[in-house]
Amino acid sequence: MLESNELFHRVRPLYDAYADCIDEERYEEWPEFFEDVCFYQITTREAHRKSMPIGIVQCNSKGMLIDRIGSMKRANIFEPQRYRHLLGALHVEAAENGTIRARMGFGVVRILESGDSMLFLSGIWHDEIVETTEGLRFREKIAVLDSSRVDTLLVVPV
Amino acid sequence: MSDVELQAQRIEWPKEGVSRVPFEIYTNDALYESEQDLLFKGPIWNFVGVDVEIPAVGDFKTNFVGDTPVVVVKSSADSYSAFVNRCAHRGSTLCYEKTGNRDAFTCVYHNWSYDLEGNLKTVAFHKGVRGKGGLPDDFRTCDHNLQKLRVQSLCGLLFVSFDEDAPELETFLGPKMCAHIQRIFSKKIRILGTFSQHMHNNWKLYMENVKDSYHASLLHLFFTTFKLNRLSMQGGLILDGDGGHHISYSKMATDAGGGTDYESGGLRAQNDEFALHDNRILKSWPEFDDGVTHAIQGIFPNLIVQQIQNSLALRLLIPRGVNGCELVWIMFGYESDTQEETDIRVALSNLVGPAGLVSMEDGVIGSFVQRAIVGNQGRETVLEMGGRTVESQESRVSEASVRGFWQAYRKYMRL
Amino acid sequence: MSWLNVARLSDLAPDYPTACSVEGHRIALYLVDGAVYGTSNICTHQFALLSDGYHEDGVVECPLHQGRFDVRTGKALCSPLTIDLATYEVDVRGDEVWVCIQGDGR
Repeated sequence: MLESNELFHRVRPLYDAYADCIDEERYEEWPEFFEDVCFYQITTREAHRKSMPIGIVQCNSKGMLIDRIGSMKRANIFEPQRYRHLLGALHVEAAENGTIRARMGFGVVRILESGDSMLFLSGIWHDEIVETTEGLRFREKIAVLDSSRVDTLLVVPV
Repeated sequence: MSDVELQAQRIEWPKEGVSRVPFEIYTNDALYESEQDLLFKGPIWNFVGVDVEIPAVGDFKTNFVGDTPVVVVKSSADSYSAFVNRCAHRGSTLCYEKTGNRDAFTCVYHNWSYDLEGNLKTVAFHKGVRGKGGLPDDFRTCDHNLQKLRVQSLCGLLFVSFDEDAPELETFLGPKMCAHIQRIFSKKIRILGTFSQHMHNNWKLYMENVKDSYHASLLHLFFTTFKLNRLSMQGGLILDGDGGHHISYSKMATDAGGGTDYESGGLRAQNDEFALHDNRILKSWPEFDDGVTHAIQGIFPNLIVQQIQNSLALRLLIPRGVNGCELVWIMFGYESDTQEETDIRVALSNLVGPAGLVSMEDGVIGSFVQRAIVGNQGRETVLEMGGRTVESQESRVSEASVRGFWQAYRKYMRL
Repeated sequence: MSWLNVARLSDLAPDYPTACSVEGHRIALYLVDGAVYGTSNICTHQFALLSDGYHEDGVVECPLHQGRFDVRTGKALCSPLTIDLATYEVDVRGDEVWVCIQGDGR
């Protein structure tokens, strides 16, 4: 069992890589950060506190994550945009079942081709991470957005 | 008629009638102001919430009618009250929290205190202090109540009106809309999620979008890209309320050869690169006995009742200035749902909302219009799909419900 | 328990309370038909001084939300009040008004 300082140094690069993958638009790689059977949700603080089942995005498998990227690339219509994640402090601890529990706050700047740029989202990830033969993977990632209001649409994952 | 109304009235509607809409309708500031009085405070009913949001006496929620902030209260075991969220004293916001529970509404500024019906009960220091100051002897608290609105409800949906002369709610809705509301809301609902979406366009552009069944398979490419056949569905369009209300409905094909999208999606998954990797997102069961699987109901001017298979929602559109609006979503199921049914509703919710795989485009398409019509006053939109009239139709390849919206809008706005 | 001289009878008025403060007690004094009564000066509903309120015939009205108390018994007479006021024993000796303070803070 790693001590908390070692845990921090083990886990922090995972978050840096995760944000970099999205911000550099390598969207096809995004589902690979997750286990095959996983839970990914984007919800709001209001809904999370009241344990409401419907947030903004709900995925129960890596397949659904792949489908979201597939839909983004081939089906959905939206103004071209990119993200810039601004990462907060990492809080990490080992859980009894051998997994790692982690929390990290984040902000997301959304940049449009027109040059318009805004602080689009802020929130906190509540994650469960596991060690696999290929390295650390998310078994569960819940992005709890601070605000219940989304501007225009949300197509790129967070 | 006020100056603002006069200015707005200088907008000339084209001679073709409702098969044209001048671009000015989406960009004119004076018209926007005029909408507040003639439309939102006119003889209509505005949706403000559902009874399950304020179940106990003293529970309240805040909302908007047009630009006007309002409070809706469960004022007794079997009644609701509503009033403008503004103290009668100096105009301060009375409730700055979204929801809560109160014995009385007391303004933080000077402690003027109102009962749950909005009647002024006490004024701090009304007798002055030690015989000095205070209110004049002829001050009557009953002259300074909050500005009250009428409240009526149907199946737990709460509506308010500023206008004493507005017809009863069920008359305003009409029998066809009431029947559809009863179809959806005759069982007690359970709210499963709520969020809002800000859009950078005039509110009427979104209302047109949601009433326009023509764009569905053309803008929203999720179904066609993943080869989920939508084109053969039986359905139609029902209009009422001078054309302002509509229901666009269809029955998902369940005959042999295709099965449901869930089933057929599963069959193709193995050998088609364009199939979904995980089609559990589409799993559904027949929600109602009538075979209708998709129904979008628009209640004039700004409420939508959504049934997309088992994804049920209320959507309230709040205008935010000429160039913006906020769509508030209330996703719901029923108290009687099993866990499996709730799970299906959760999975289907991926299709709608600001990240909706099917409907996210609706969030941006209005802004695509808003920015392109700037500086093009004198031009207009063309609404001739399905003809040029306003009537219920069998085909959903039609803009009749959009023309219907404008027919009702012109009536209330005197344009 | 001790008796303390807190005010002059000639300073009291019939239609508004007089405030005084002794040993951490904030007290309101009332003149009713020549007799003097004392209660806590803080309304039991929310923080407000009853001495800023209005007194008539043995009933004091809190200035903030117009809750009314009987000054003789401390009894809460109407909503929004739910808790009675603490009262103080008063003795008038000539022009001096004396109030009894219980040792345990009452």
